[in-house]
Amino acid sequence: MPLTMPRSRTPLPRWRLRPLVLSCLAACLLLAAAQGCSRGTASERGPVELRVWTMWGGDEAEAFQAVVDEFNRTHPQIVVRNLPAVDDTKIIRAIVADDPPDVFTLREPGYLGSLAGNGALLALDDRFAGSGLKEADFAPGTLSQCRYGGRLHAMLFLMDCYGLLWNKAAFREAGLDPETPPATHEQLLEYARKLTQRDAKGRITRLGLLPPDPMVLIGSFGGRFTTPDGARPTADHERNIAALRWYRELIEVQGGPEQVNGFAAGFGQEMGINNPFLVDKVAMMLNGQWNPYWFQRYGPKVRYGAAPLPYPAEHPELRHPTWLGGNLFCIPANTRHADEAWTFLRWTQTLPAQRLFASTMHGVPNLLAARKEPSLRTVGGPDDAWKGAFGIFMDAASSPNARHFPVTAVTGLYQYELLTAADYVRFGSRTPEAALSDVQQRVAREMARSQP
Amino acid sequence: MKVRARERRKTLQGLLFVSPWLIGFLVFTLYPILASLYYSFCDFRVLSPPRWIGLGNYHALLTDRDYFLPSLVNTLYMLGELPVALVLGVGMALLLNQKLPGIGLFRTLYYLPSVMPTVAVAVLWLWLLNPEYGLVNAALGPILEPFGIAPPGWLTDPGWSKPAFILMDLWAVGGSVVVYLAGLQGIPVHLYEAADLDGATPWQKTRHVTLPQLSPVIFYNLIIGVIATFQYFTQAFIMTNGGPQNSTLFYALHLFHNAFRDFRMGRACAMAWVLFLVTLAATVLVFRSSARWVYYEGDRNG
Repeated sequence: MPLTMPRSRTPLPRWRLRPLVLSCLAACLLLAAAQGCSRGTASERGPVELRVWTMWGGDEAEAFQAVVDEFNRTHPQIVVRNLPAVDDTKIIRAIVADDPPDVFTLREPGYLGSLAGNGALLALDDRFAGSGLKEADFAPGTLSQCRYGGRLHAMLFLMDCYGLLWNKAAFREAGLDPETPPATHEQLLEYARKLTQRDAKGRITRLGLLPPDPMVLIGSFGGRFTTPDGARPTADHERNIAALRWYRELIEVQGGPEQVNGFAAGFGQEMGINNPFLVDKVAMMLNGQWNPYWFQRYGPKVRYGAAPLPYPAEHPELRHPTWLGGNLFCIPANTRHADEAWTFLRWTQTLPAQRLFASTMHGVPNLLAARKEPSLRTVGGPDDAWKGAFGIFMDAASSPNARHFPVTAVTGLYQYELLTAADYVRFGSRTPEAALSDVQQRVAREMARSQP
Repeated sequence: MKVRARERRKTLQGLLFVSPWLIGFLVFTLYPILASLYYSFCDFRVLSPPRWIGLGNYHALLTDRDYFLPSLVNTLYMLGELPVALVLGVGMALLLNQKLPGIGLFRTLYYLPSVMPTVAVAVLWLWLLNPEYGLVNAALGPILEPFGIAPPGWLTDPGWSKPAFILMDLWAVGGSVVVYLAGLQGIPVHLYEAADLDGATPWQKTRHVTLPQLSPVIFYNLIIGVIATFQYFTQAFIMTNGGPQNSTLFYALHLFHNAFRDFRMGRACAMAWVLFLVTLAATVLVFRSSARWVYYEGDRNG
């Protein structure tokens, strides 16, 4: 028997249908209007609400919220509302959909070039010049992280800086002076070999040096990623090749790629008590300035030292290199509150703001004056033990040999290519020359395509 | 006349009532599909308007020997998982189809991995496959040691990373086992009784009754498996992001990189359409072959 739907005998009369449709429409209109209102300039009445989207979550979001609270307290005309833990792609979607935040951070600084190159960001040069800020207020490697195509498209609010960290007990055990860290790459290799430990079966129980981020390593070798004008890549630069050659040697002296990879795959999270450095699975590492605070928090008993990154012995002019990162704050070109957004960014470049944020976020101030701040250097008690080593990072960040990845339109691709090349070199399946020459070809092609 | 007006009104009312679905389909499904087809012929950098470049994206893809072709090959490699999953799945279903006390418990246990979130499974397997401390190598080590073979580095070794993913996926084979089980339960008992009367051995019964009867279900699982393999993404995205040495750069992952790392949305759309065509071709092939081995009740040629 075929099943049929019972036919409705009385269709809904028109007079009952119409109000339904009308009320639906009205609701839609109302919603749209409300949306429009929230975006309106509305500075005539009450403070302007500034939407700030940031990458930080958890403890870090709380640290940033304290900064926001301080701004709101001192700026009654503006109310900053922070949305924590925002993903970069969400920001990009919001910009494309013409409903952007007023200020945002980039979790992946590599996006800056693409965003700026496509006109998605407000150029800040005029505002910067008119605000009383001077180039000389900032350390080298600070504003250059924010420029693309010669124009300023972001401001840093604290930055990252890499140095050498070593475990003093491990040094003593290996018969090395715990107060004298390796200064050159040659010494670093020698120390890494001496500090690597194996069990009776020959398996690694401690790595001398955690294989560093290839980008940091290339930076410490005085490597170059682009021509000075930023128009062409220089992936196969002679210093870059030297860095990867050293990288391969490092893997070899510590037991080869299979062993090192296998051992390193078992490492716990760095942000926690299983940090491989704190549980003596790694004796040295090239890592960032946030580590002293993490060590204080997750392994207060471990005695460690901090120093600038090693440099190549045959290039004494490259002494005290470091690698920089940064927290980029941008203003979308299509924001409705450009002036207020700049007021907020301008305020982040003041001594009190930098001091406050650096003391809770443990990032290096990008304002030179703030780096001299005694409150960020003096250890008063166990709660600020991290400040002892933190000063070393702040000094390292001011070095003339501080490097960062240049701002390009193809940074994401470029870095992925470099990491893949380092991977090939690590396994010995390609020479540094061959791997980097491939990177050079591919990135040059992409860069040429993306020229404005 | 009057009848016709009423008919039309009824049609309109009908459309009005299905409009939530209709609008949803048009706006959220059909439009994006058509838009992606259009963008695939454009240089589209997401942040600036798309610019028509004809077949440029397709040409760039087909001449890209560094990423596009390897990513396709990596994905095709994963198709090797399907026959293994099939044999394992059918075998397990046959075992779990026995009438034994407590069999429900076993069925649940084997099904359990397929209801776990992919991300949790990925993190779990990162540990299981850990070359140094992982349980997999802890089990393999003592077996391989007498032969002087070191256990594989799994996800850290470019030669073993894809087998590692296959191993991990086979753990979740219980999802298809449930479908096979349902198929097994649907096989009429009189066929087995007839086979018994003819003096068939258990193997003959499996070979000539169970498998032909189960073939539509196997066919279904195969099609689903082929499509899912071409879309292989989440595990690689979480666990390796393409490494080591691009050995786990699968097609969908490369597509994602193009779209959201490099802002080459046009090329990503072109990749999506190529993927659609490749998947379609593979599915058609499986369908074509099905006439030879899939048996349908009431099908004279079967």
